[in-house]
Amino acid sequence: MTTLSSPTKESGVAVPRGPRPGEPNGRRRLLRAIKPGPTADAGGAALYRRWWLPWLWMAPAIIGVTVFGVYPFLNTLLLSFTDAKPLGGAASFVGLDNYTRLLGDSDFWLATRNSVLYALIVVPLMVLLPLVLAVLVEKNLPGIGFFRSAFYTPVLASSVVVGLSWQWLLSDQGLVNTWLQKAHIIREAIPFLSDSWLILFSAMGLTLWKGLGWYMIFYLAALGNVPKELHEAAAVDGAGAIRRFWHVTMPGVRTSMLLVGTLTGIGSLRVFTEIYMLGGATGGPGGADRTLPFYIRDVALDPLTGNAGYGSAVSVALFVLTLGLTLLAQRLTKEDEA
Amino acid sequence: MCVRRLSGSLACLVVLSLTAAGCGLSGGGSDDGSATAGGCEVDKGNVGSGELTGEVKGSITFQTTNLKKDFSGYFDGVIEAFEKAHPDTNVKWVDDPGDATFTQRLVADAQGCTLPDVVNINVNTAIALTKSGYLLNLDEKAPDSGKPFTPAMWKSSTYAEADGTEVHSVLPWYSGGIVQTFNTELMKKAGLDPAKPPTTVLGLFEDAQKIAEASDGEYYAFLANPQHRIPADWQQMNIQILSADGKKFTFADDPKTVQWVEAMTKLYKAGGMPRDSLSSTQDPANVYGQGKLVYGPTNPNFLRFIQQNNPSVYKETGVARFMLDDLGHTVGAPQYIGVASTSKNATTALSFAQFLTNAENQLEWAKDPNVVIFPSTTESLNDPFFQSVEGSDPFAEARKIVASDRKTATADEIALTPGGLNAISAQIQLAMQGKKSAQDALDEAQKKANELIEQGS
Repeated sequence: MTTLSSPTKESGVAVPRGPRPGEPNGRRRLLRAIKPGPTADAGGAALYRRWWLPWLWMAPAIIGVTVFGVYPFLNTLLLSFTDAKPLGGAASFVGLDNYTRLLGDSDFWLATRNSVLYALIVVPLMVLLPLVLAVLVEKNLPGIGFFRSAFYTPVLASSVVVGLSWQWLLSDQGLVNTWLQKAHIIREAIPFLSDSWLILFSAMGLTLWKGLGWYMIFYLAALGNVPKELHEAAAVDGAGAIRRFWHVTMPGVRTSMLLVGTLTGIGSLRVFTEIYMLGGATGGPGGADRTLPFYIRDVALDPLTGNAGYGSAVSVALFVLTLGLTLLAQRLTKEDEA
Repeated sequence: MCVRRLSGSLACLVVLSLTAAGCGLSGGGSDDGSATAGGCEVDKGNVGSGELTGEVKGSITFQTTNLKKDFSGYFDGVIEAFEKAHPDTNVKWVDDPGDATFTQRLVADAQGCTLPDVVNINVNTAIALTKSGYLLNLDEKAPDSGKPFTPAMWKSSTYAEADGTEVHSVLPWYSGGIVQTFNTELMKKAGLDPAKPPTTVLGLFEDAQKIAEASDGEYYAFLANPQHRIPADWQQMNIQILSADGKKFTFADDPKTVQWVEAMTKLYKAGGMPRDSLSSTQDPANVYGQGKLVYGPTNPNFLRFIQQNNPSVYKETGVARFMLDDLGHTVGAPQYIGVASTSKNATTALSFAQFLTNAENQLEWAKDPNVVIFPSTTESLNDPFFQSVEGSDPFAEARKIVASDRKTATADEIALTPGGLNAISAQIQLAMQGKKSAQDALDEAQKKANELIEQGS
């Protein structure tokens, strides 16, 4: 049991006090308080119990989250009930007008459809494919390091560079069409960059390609925690590679799969660069490939014609959608576990 | 836990979006009669009627857009000369990268009452800042400001204040000019005479149709994305793009616009443009440099790019005056220099702005071999540097053509906002794919563009 080093006579409880002559100043006391090892004696333990010390440790994070997360979120919520403009000027309270407008805005619904479709297609693939890759590269085979690096390289490339590379790959005279034509698989070039559906699917492919390596690393770490004995036992019982993957590996990395699914879901709903790089500034011909973040840019950010109030309402809708899909995923997972 | 993380992530997205937009709930002027501009407290002399008075002294900030990397020597020299002529002054030069969010950032600076005293802006930013009262009204504060500039350029360089009054709030600076550039060898292959380039926009489409028929997909006339041609083509055709008060788009009501969309559609279907360039971000300069386009970008500076990167294509490049068509002259807003109405040293700032844009300093910069720019001052354009151009290489030809063109060129460029341009282009793309008729696409484009104007007003 530790004893308090210098209790006040009145209460017996340690309270902060200023340094006395000959005593270390406040900074030194603080350093002593945080310094581990032999100096963390009974006095040090008392200092650890200062009520403000935990808050001090958390202050940078709290300030960061408040300034860059909470305040802007609340401000966005507030703006969504106004007709605020990017150029400022007096903003008026418009009640639910922005939200009513959302309901009848066909461009908003098109962007919502694209975002949801993006998430529905990309999330399952992004949860499974990196796991398969991780299982493949987990084994210590000669030259496996090359494949690990190759799979991870797209993660390091900037989205713009990746986008440009995919433009070259998918253009009418690009590598993919040229190869398919030379192999006599197709006669006419596939309009990857001029058909709105193909632009959307190509953008999904780009997202997947760029994210595979990143989530593969997640799974590689998780696979290390799957006991080898389980695999051996399953093998002894006659389970093949696929059954072992399904019944041993996947349950073993379940938590990581949930994490990857959540992160990918959020990321899919925030897609902008891929659509911009493959579909251009209009978001595909006729703007048919615009996602919600793309639409927010279009309605809110133009300094002259933007409507920050309406843009904020779209942002709130995006937030609700993301939250809803995440909660749904968690619910389904819990039901599955039960 | 995940939910909390999620809220944080999304909040950050929202923040980034809206902070970049510079949105806020800032108010207008005060009611107590004190001097305000754009919601900021300012010196009384900076607003209202009457010329700016006061001594040229004190410190000012001068902001350029992405010029420090290549031209620091020139600007250091100008600043030094100004400080020497006015010993009690100090000019602090800052350079903004001038990326896609430049206007938003500058507007955010203005809203925070921290706009640089002298600032280099483009036409869209000039419109935005003038509308909110962040720039000095030169008609009131310095009525003689326009004298050095070509009359056409000065007369057309006005922007609307909040009440709709058109004022001079900026000094015209340099511009890049506009010319036709084309690959003469490809023109010949398509049966066209490089010595007879088109003089009208629809004439260009007629030639392009011949290219489509002759090329069989080996090369193209130009890229398909309408964003490369709007509003320049429409302005040369003298299409009434906006109503007289600038509050409504009217382009869809002009039969010439329908003709233009139909010509684009016909050419796209005939293969005169790369199919995958309909909405893409491809740079026409790169595709032209690969020898795949007959018509290149219209910015003379592009010729320098081709000269350096594709000498063989450069040798085959011809230049000609831009299609003047029904308009009879070219349009194109230059880069501008504005003086902040929030400046604490407005007299000094204005003096520096005038010094920077005077004929002597503009000419000196135009002579820099590393740049292809054209001054806005009459005296500079009359200089032998532009008048007695020798040689017939494309670059020299372009300089001669543009210098003569700048004397009649106006700044009446219809400055479509990025949002407006996207809304219009998107509908034309649908027409080009055959999903809408030209008239339906234009009607929808006009409706959406008008909604944007209304939304921003």
